[in-house]
Amino acid sequence: MDKKNKWKAWLYLAPVLILMAVFTFYPIISTFIASFLKDYNNVTGENSGFTFYNYQYVLGLAERYEGSGVFFKEFFSLNPAEHSAFWNTMFITFVTVPISVVLSLAIAILIHSIKPLKKIFQTVFFMPYVTNVIAVGMVFSLLFSQFGVWNRIFGLSTAWLADNSATWGGVMFVLCLYIIWSALPYKILIFLSGFEGIDRQYYEAAKIDGAGRFKTTMKVTIPLISPQILYITVTSFIGAFKEYSSVVGLINRSYSSDQNVQDLYTVVYWIYDQMSKGDWNTTSQFADAAAMILLFVILIFTLIELWVSKKKVVYR
Amino acid sequence: MEIKIENLNKEYPSREKGGSPTKAVLDLDLTVKDGELMGLLGPSGCGKSTTLYMIAGLQDPTSGFIYFDEDDVTHLDAEKRGIGLVFQNYALYPHMSVYQNVEFPLTNLKVEEEEKAYDLEYEDTLLNILKNDEALIALIKETITSGKKSKVALAEALIRSYHIAPSLAKTIVNALKKEGESYQHSINVLAAKAEGKKGKILQRYAKQGIEIDEQYRLLRNGEPRKIQRSLTKDERDTYVKETAKLVQIEEYLERKPSELSGGQQQRVAIARALVKRPRVLLLDEPLSNLDARLRIQTREEIRRVQQATKITTVFVTHDQEEAMSICDRICVMEKGEERQVGKPQDIYKDPNCLFVAKFLGTPPINVFSGSVRSGKVYIGEEAVFKGVDIPDQEITIGIRPEGFKAKPKKTDLKLHLPIDDILTQGRDVTLVSSSPLVEGGIVKIIVDSDLPFKKGEEAFAIKPNKIFLFEKETGKRIRF
Repeated sequence: MDKKNKWKAWLYLAPVLILMAVFTFYPIISTFIASFLKDYNNVTGENSGFTFYNYQYVLGLAERYEGSGVFFKEFFSLNPAEHSAFWNTMFITFVTVPISVVLSLAIAILIHSIKPLKKIFQTVFFMPYVTNVIAVGMVFSLLFSQFGVWNRIFGLSTAWLADNSATWGGVMFVLCLYIIWSALPYKILIFLSGFEGIDRQYYEAAKIDGAGRFKTTMKVTIPLISPQILYITVTSFIGAFKEYSSVVGLINRSYSSDQNVQDLYTVVYWIYDQMSKGDWNTTSQFADAAAMILLFVILIFTLIELWVSKKKVVYR
Repeated sequence: MEIKIENLNKEYPSREKGGSPTKAVLDLDLTVKDGELMGLLGPSGCGKSTTLYMIAGLQDPTSGFIYFDEDDVTHLDAEKRGIGLVFQNYALYPHMSVYQNVEFPLTNLKVEEEEKAYDLEYEDTLLNILKNDEALIALIKETITSGKKSKVALAEALIRSYHIAPSLAKTIVNALKKEGESYQHSINVLAAKAEGKKGKILQRYAKQGIEIDEQYRLLRNGEPRKIQRSLTKDERDTYVKETAKLVQIEEYLERKPSELSGGQQQRVAIARALVKRPRVLLLDEPLSNLDARLRIQTREEIRRVQQATKITTVFVTHDQEEAMSICDRICVMEKGEERQVGKPQDIYKDPNCLFVAKFLGTPPINVFSGSVRSGKVYIGEEAVFKGVDIPDQEITIGIRPEGFKAKPKKTDLKLHLPIDDILTQGRDVTLVSSSPLVEGGIVKIIVDSDLPFKKGEEAFAIKPNKIFLFEKETGKRIRF
């Protein structure tokens, strides 16, 4: 582009750039800075200087109060039994992402291979996408209540959610089910549109070459939509690391009325909690540190996925 | 193998309700002889590709029959027909290397043969080679120098001198890799291992009550049994390499299709179609995506491969020059119907309708409207040709560009044409003329470049074997 037109391009981009600067870039930078400030006041900006304490505190490496011997384990702990926000999030991510990707791919292949009723199935599977997350969460909590449909079908009387007898495992099971279910439609949609883009001749060639249906799917169809699979995998991982609204929709704040059972935190849920604890000047810098850790983790995973994909993804 | 098409029809249902169906192919009868290269030629929409896809089994005929030799394959699945198909845009799998693309059909192939103890044969072959250790060591010393490359060289030398499978050669080469040990020692270790394996294999067969004869056939109750099996990796490798050599793509085997030029991709597509030794090779406009120069080169390549393999081939094209240059016979089609079948030169010299006459030849035939009156052909008011023994009528006259004789004798009947332009193309000279009576308004005349021409009116006689008369209404040829 010649110089004369360059300022025009910037002019056209200006509205977006300004909005992004105010609502994206500035908050990121400000979060990054605040995560290194001791006793940061969110409102006045007062602080007592640079520190690594926020990170140490969040990661459970520093004592809560000097000399108290108590380490903070709510956000980060490698002990599964402690159900830290980080552990919960990791669990959700590595259970729901693979299952939902594989399942949606399978469903998309099935929908694609049937001719009659295709439109109906497409609509049915797309329904969750246009339904409100919180509303669906509430319906799920009804389905899994003590006298809900799930228990009726399987002849159980388990209290899955929000009861004194609810367990971490039970809640997690319902939560994963719910996340997978609500994650399917968008993925199916993307895969279906990927199938539409495959030249019919590849299938004809496979037929001439004597490949059966299963082999054609594994060796032709799936490799040819590898760009879509990559896209879905990366965005799903990012989405799962940020899981939050589904927990709120399903169990609201806590799944047990027992005061000793802590909330089913996810990373973002915990960050949100720290930010909204009312006491502006005590905990927001911990939320900032946690947010930076989340950003770092997502970055690492995305880079790994992109690195793996370099060998496996073929762009037509 | 011979392909016989009888009364073949293909109709597509109308898109609108109650509309009449579109007839893509109409009552087609065609025989492609064994080992022949047959061209299906026609403008787009003439049904030639549809015909090809019906032969391939990718489209189902509405009625009619297709025979491969004696077998009725009309409704047989495509994969069971044993055909190779080259698509117009190649349809190479972009995620597979050239090698994998060519190998793919083989991975689906099943061969029937008598059950054999390949594992035992493998060990025996190995032991036989090792037994003659002096010869082996001599070969190794001759080949090996140093470094990694010599390993490959050694494997190749072993394959060459013992005619063994690559996997066996690899076993031997890998056994030698331990440095510091003499070759003799490595050979002894390997031989001991092979003996051990052989013993175990024999034991296993004995346990199952299976005998093995000298040809390594498994005998159950004294009888060999036929089984279907997939090709082994070694067999596939052999076929892929052979075919790659045939179409000259050996250098590109490890590349992805996207890293190849159009012509190279086309070769890969042909290799993929040929690798499973199909009974029939079908080519759907294989050259249309190539540039002019590659097109000529590739079409000769196709001819060469076809001649080398003697495989019955059907070649679809809309380019008459392409069809004429490589096909043994061509079938000219129009609107789903066969117009004429025959050797390219025969059809060119003796077209049986106006469509065929117009479709073949560059520059195309000059089509005049005229009439026949008392045995003479008239264009306008000029009698241009005599000795036509047909009733007086209005007719369409076709004259090939090379059918004009310049500087005619006084006694000849002549056609006078104004010469607007003179185009010299090497050997030939094309005269561009115009006439209100010719289709398209322009007459093209090819004459010898030795003759001097200048712009202005010129008289021509018509060569008798280059003028064709057609019925005005139907375009049918009138013979005289």
